[in-house]
Amino acid sequence: MYNKVKVVPCSGIGKVYGLMAREAVLKTVIELCPEKSETVCLAYIVTGDKEVKEKIEGCDCITVDGCPKMCASKNVSIVGGIVREEIKVLDTVKEHKGKKFGSPTQLDADGEASNR
Amino acid sequence: MKTELKVGVISCSGEECLGGTISRLATRKVLEELKMIGTVTLCLPLYLAGGEEERNFAKVFPTISVDGCDKLCAKRSTEKYSGKINGSIDVSKIIGNENALDTKIVRNKDLKEEHFQMVDKVASEIVKMISRISPDSYSGKSFRGCSCGNE
Repeated sequence: MYNKVKVVPCSGIGKVYGLMAREAVLKTVIELCPEKSETVCLAYIVTGDKEVKEKIEGCDCITVDGCPKMCASKNVSIVGGIVREEIKVLDTVKEHKGKKFGSPTQLDADGEASNR
Repeated sequence: MKTELKVGVISCSGEECLGGTISRLATRKVLEELKMIGTVTLCLPLYLAGGEEERNFAKVFPTISVDGCDKLCAKRSTEKYSGKINGSIDVSKIIGNENALDTKIVRNKDLKEEHFQMVDKVASEIVKMISRISPDSYSGKSFRGCSCGNE
């Protein structure tokens, strides 16, 4: 059976970059590549439950992190996911200097635009 | 030094279903809008990705977990890695299992008025639970904060 690529954001709750990571991943798995990708709750991954380990272990994963703590990448690796790409939102937003992206609750127009 | 009582609220923020989105937004609402209560939060995955400081979160603050579904990942992880929690909210019990497990409407931009009403309901349950926490449960230990910027 073909395993979809697991795309996992940090969804960090304290800064807008966590929300940007979350919304970008949801756009990817729901709208852009639903046939090839899916997400897995990071909180579920953190539990280390057998079921989630089986879902992730040995699978190709892309992580999207909003801060240098790299929670998504580290936690996916801990349960055996193969992190093929680590996307750092802070690197991405360097291309959008001076823009206001919104808050950890809601993205502004610039935040939505940078997720396209 | 006597420090103001603060309550920790930990959201699952699950990405797979609407319940996670509601848990995240309700937690944010309590933090941002209901400022009469001293609340702090922490990104849940920092229990493993962070250090000792983050793992001490529930030992320092009386903590409430907010979970989007009955897997209760935030509750279980907090108790596994950080410490005993003082209360737990299962969003699926408030908004119904069918809503909580909706995998189509998860993004903020897809939310409608009815979903924001769900956020309000959950936020109100969080506030009720906070109001039941005894000030005696505050450990008095210090917490320097984490990169999420909410301390």
